[in-house]
Formats: sequence, structure tokens, C-alpha cells
Amino acid sequence: MIRIPASLQRCIMLLPVVIALWTTAAEAGDLIAGFSRDEALRLGERMYREGILPSGEPMQAVVEGDIPVEGTMFTCVSCHLRSGLGSNEGTVFTPPTNGAALYKPLPRGQGVIGAPKEQLPKEYSGGDIRPAYTDTSLAMALLAGVDPEGRKLNDIMPRYMLSERDMEIMVFYLKNLSAEFSPGVTDTTLRFATVITDEVPQKDREAMLAPLTAYFRDRTSQSRHQEKRAKHGGPFLEEMYSSYRKIALSTWELKGAPETWQSQLEAYYKKEPVFALAGGITTLGWDPIHRFCEQQKIPCIFPITDYPVITETDWYTLYFSKGLYQEGEAVARYLRSLADLPADVPVIQVFRNTREGMVLSRAFRETRRKLGLPLPEDRALSPGETATTEFWSKLADTYPAAILVVWLSPKDLDTIAALAKSPHKPKMVFMAASLLDTALSAVPERIRPFTYIAYPYRLPRDKHRSRLVIENWLRIKKIPVTNFAIQSRMYFVGWMISEALMMMQSDFYRDYFLDVIDMANDQTYSIAVYPRVSFGPGQRYAAKGCYIVQLTSGPTPELIQKSDWVIH
Amino acid sequence: MRRSRIFLSVFCLLSFLSLLPLSSVQAETKQRYKRTVEQYAIPDVVLINQDGAKVKLKKLLQLDKPVMLDFIYGTCTTICPVLSAGYSNLQKKLGPAAQNVQLVSISIDPEHDTPEVMREYLKRYRAKPGWDFLTGTREDIDRVMRAFDAYVPNKMAHYPLTLLRFPGNDAWVRIYGLIGTGELMEEYQKGLSK
Repeated sequence: MIRIPASLQRCIMLLPVVIALWTTAAEAGDLIAGFSRDEALRLGERMYREGILPSGEPMQAVVEGDIPVEGTMFTCVSCHLRSGLGSNEGTVFTPPTNGAALYKPLPRGQGVIGAPKEQLPKEYSGGDIRPAYTDTSLAMALLAGVDPEGRKLNDIMPRYMLSERDMEIMVFYLKNLSAEFSPGVTDTTLRFATVITDEVPQKDREAMLAPLTAYFRDRTSQSRHQEKRAKHGGPFLEEMYSSYRKIALSTWELKGAPETWQSQLEAYYKKEPVFALAGGITTLGWDPIHRFCEQQKIPCIFPITDYPVITETDWYTLYFSKGLYQEGEAVARYLRSLADLPADVPVIQVFRNTREGMVLSRAFRETRRKLGLPLPEDRALSPGETATTEFWSKLADTYPAAILVVWLSPKDLDTIAALAKSPHKPKMVFMAASLLDTALSAVPERIRPFTYIAYPYRLPRDKHRSRLVIENWLRIKKIPVTNFAIQSRMYFVGWMISEALMMMQSDFYRDYFLDVIDMANDQTYSIAVYPRVSFGPGQRYAAKGCYIVQLTSGPTPELIQKSDWVIH
Repeated sequence: MRRSRIFLSVFCLLSFLSLLPLSSVQAETKQRYKRTVEQYAIPDVVLINQDGAKVKLKKLLQLDKPVMLDFIYGTCTTICPVLSAGYSNLQKKLGPAAQNVQLVSISIDPEHDTPEVMREYLKRYRAKPGWDFLTGTREDIDRVMRAFDAYVPNKMAHYPLTLLRFPGNDAWVRIYGLIGTGELMEEYQKGLSK
């Protein structure tokens, strides 16, 4: 029996007025609720994704019988996800609400078995779960939470109080949501591309490309006889295997200045549309490729870059981590977590105006600001300036017992030991492991007792079995281990593509590709470089932590863990 | 005229449903959640709240006022938004008395749920003082989940759970399932009256 909340009853009382007003409106050809199709889609998208009505007011709804909800708290996208293909989290299965699914019957076993009803076993070949929605019954589902046969939907489905105009826009949007497969998909093939920029050293380029190519080659090799199984496997297997596509990988090589990359990407895409970008590598910023993917709405998963775009709103590029930015952020967070640190301790950051120096110093500064802490004093070395013994001594004398954040590489650390001699030596010195690269011994012994390093990888002592698995896989594929950090991450890309394609079955929509990755379980096994990677809608940096470590003495120092992986 | 027909149909059906006798509607409403009373040993952990402050969980959960606890995360797709809308509405319904109840949400996605994320989340749900969102290390969060028999190895496998404790009573009312504000208020009043 349906419970009609008081708020919804008030909405119902207003409907005659709404309808009366509406029926006086002139028929407007192809217009949707008085808007062009594009504008109606934009407004519908805003309702679906942001919970904002065309009026600019938040949508209003009721869940669980009596809980009023504003669209800005949560809205359609929260459960049905960006693609509209739905989610399956915990105890709640959220069915698809995209156009392709709503306007046809939902057969029993749908989502498990998509084979023709006549071919299904008896228990699955009975009546449909529900008949196809019409515009009217869809409006009923949104308003009153009943399906086309009048059965009550789960109370978790919000009952939305929408005017007839807003309802028409919403119905139109849903009808067009994930209605056609994305570009880059044919009956037989799903095409990906990987982007390589021309300044990447040959060995790193090979380290990225070889595992990725091996993965694509193996999956398409037909060694598991997918096509044969699809043909002869019966209804259950047919659904599983009819969704099978060969996957193809193109290599998009970008040459010259980053300003020219956009046009090169557009030319590649025009020649051969792809479903998504996978892997990829640059030593420069990923920004132009990131922007291209946002504009074209192309997923780009896990490129190798130290310079991802840091954003909380962009959607299409999923990075391994925030790169160098993460190290600057971690140092700021670690300092905040130290309860016994005086609030007025001076904080100085020393860096060069190089790409890495700028990113690290920006990350540290921005995070301090976000945490409500005083901003650091910046000491940028000019291009010809050398960090001499005098430089460090003067710095220590000028800022006694300060926190010194040193975003410099080993070549600038020759004289930093002078800090230890100063009567005003710093309270703490921080550095970034990425700048030290493998040369941790570049940190002089004398400053190690008060030097801390942001270390954004799994700790060396944490020899994880995944390393052995990946090394074995590389050996089987006859790929020599040349850069395990890059190669193991490309192994992970293959792993995630397999997971995503298995979940997607025949729903080849780009947004769904990202939706299913967002719903993926946290990974600790398939990733060797980081202790853990995790996902969630809108989470675009999978490895979210960075240790703070100190070094033991000696020429091959070991790491002493000083923080958790994630520092709050 | 197609639009007119659609809305007229919807209107007629909704009007019919709204005229159903309320008593018959209520009579067929089943309890939609499972309620048990449990004893838990609260682990001695320090978590971080939405302001970045360290919080001794034991102390917070043993305040001399009613405490409600749930497990959520900031980017949850289904259960958590409803649990949080429930908390929000409960605070609204309680009005000034909301300050007499301590609401606690514990993140099961501590990698992502930083104090800033949690603060934004609470703002979205118009949380009033008295609703704290806590995060911590993975190990501590796992300990807390295990202590309340709420452990899930992966956040995507979590389930709706609300736990209530009342002053002078160490027992926790465990509510498994999503519930409306009316039902939560009933549980709250029932606990207070004991």
C-alpha cells in the first residue's frame, strides 16, 4: 500500500492549477517545455546531476516515507550514476534509468541475462519485472514512486515534487540519457588509445607501452574462445560473451610544444574515434590532454604523469595520484597533525621556479590555506643562484628553529649540511622523495635527525606479493623489467580495464565505463607501487596517501615511517 | 495536447491514491527494519572530526545524552545519503532539543574523507552542532567497525545501520535497515522513556 506523505499530497493538490496553466500554453513544435532540445537537455542534466530546477531552486523530494530531501543533498545521479545505468551498493540495487532501458520491458533476469525471453529457462521466462515505461508512467514513478503496473517502488527512491514543465524536461533528459553507444565502439571492437609525448625517454616509453600492448594483445587473442562460447553457450553464456568485443589500442604520439597538442589530439580523434584513453606518459604537464578529454567527454584512465590537473570538479581523467602535488599536500597535513608544534613557528619553503618546484610549493601553500594555517614564506632560488653553505647558514640565522621545506633536487643539496652546524638550526626540514629520486643518500647524514621526507609509494620494507605476481607476468610476456614503477602501473591499467568491461557487459557508454570504475573495490593486490588505491564517484586520484619518513644513517639509508599512509 | 493527457493521467491516479483511507494505509505498513539490543565494547581510539580536531571515540559515545551512530562515506551512492538526510531531518524535527542528542557518523572511506570533505558533506546536509563526522586511520576505522559488528572489507558492501544509546544504559539499540524520521523519533522517544 502506498503511503502518500503530506508534502506530496500538497503537491498533488496543486496539480490542477499547474495543468490548467499548462494547457493554455501554445503547442510549440519541437520545443520541450518551451525550450530548445539542447537547452532542455542542459536543464535536465542540471536536475539529474546537481538537483537544481530550471528555476535555480533545489529540487524537493521525499525518501523513506517522511524524510524531505533537497536536490543539493542528493539527487538522481547519486544512485543512478552519471550514465543512468544504476549502481549496486551494499543492500541496494538501483536499476537503470537511461532511455534505452526505461522505454522497454524489464525482463526477469535483466542485468543478469539479456538473452531473448524465449531462450531462457522457465524460471526466467515468466512475466517481465515491469512493462515499458511511458512518459506518463515515468512521471508517476518520479512523483509517486510507483512502476507502470502501480506497484510501489522501494522507499529509497525519492518521490520528486516536480512541476509539469520540470517533469517534461526530466522525462526528456532520461529518454536521451545513454541512449546510444559512445563513439569508439563497433559490433566487434572497442577502441582505446594511449598518448605518448615526444620528450619521454625511449626506455620509459617502452616501459609504458610494452605491458599495455601485451595486455591488449592477450585479451584479443581469442585464447579463451569467447566468440565460440557466445555462439554455442546457451542463453546464460550468450549474454556474457555476446558483450565481448575485441579491444584495440592505438598510439597517439604528440610532438612539439604542449600548445600544439590539442590540435594533434583532435586530428587523431577525427581520424579514428576512440572509446577511451588508457595509460599514456609525459614528463610534462597532462593539462592539454586532460582538457581535450573533458571537451570530448572521453575517459582517460591512469596516465603516467607527475603533473596531473588538480581539480575537484572535472570528470573524465582518472589519475593514479596527484603526483608531486600530493607530496606538498602531505607535508602540510603532517605539520598540522603535530600537536606540540607552536602555532607561530616560522615556515619557510625553498624552491626553484622549475615545474616541479612550482607544483610542490603551490601544493604546500594551497593546503596550508585550506587548513586555515599561516602561509609559508617563500624563498625561490633564481636561475643562476647556487645554494651555498652561506645560503643555508644565513637562512638558519634569519629564521631560527624554523620549519624548512626544501623542494630541491640532489644537485642543490651539496651544502645543506651547513644547517646542522648553525646554532639556529631548523626544527624540522622537509623534502620530496620524487625530487630525490632514488638518491636518498643525497640527504647528508648530519641533517637526517631532523629531516623528513614525503614518500608517496609503498614502503620498501612492505614487500608485497603483488610485486612477484607482476614480475612473473612480465617474465611470461617476455618483457624485461626496466622500470617497474611504470610497468606495474600499466599492469594495473589492464587489470582495471578487464574489471570494467566485465561489469559493463553490453552497455558501452563512456560514462558507464567511469561509473563502474568508481564503484570498484579498493585495490591492494593488483597495485604494487602504492599500498592502496580506492575509488568512488568523483574521486579522481586513486592513491590518496603519502608517507612521511626519516632516514637511517649510512650510505644506503633505510626508511623510518613517521606517519600513516593517509594523513588527515 | 499529448502533455495534457500525460499530466491528467498522473493527476487522476495520484488523486485516487491520496484519497485512500489513512488507517488502511497504516495498517498495512510493516516495520521495515530489524531492531535488536546489543552490547558493544567501544575501542579506545582517537579519530579526527570535520574540524580536524582529535576526538576520543569512547568519550564521545559515552556522553551523558542520547547518542546515535552510523557508518557512512562522502561519495556513497545509495545508503549514506538517505541516512544523512534522516539525521538532518531528525535535527530539524527536534528543533532546539537537537542539542540534547549527539549524532555521530563514522567514515568507512578514510582515504578520501578528510576533514575538509566531511565539513563540506555536513554543510550539504545542513548539519547543526551536535552532528560529528569522524575519520581516522584505516586500522582504527576497521577496529571501530568490528567493535560494532559493522565490519565490511570494502565500502561498497556496506549496509544501513543506525545505533542508539541512551544515558545510564550501556546497551545499544541496533537498527538494521533504512528508516523514516517518524520511526527514528519513535525509537528515540522509546529509549528516552526507559
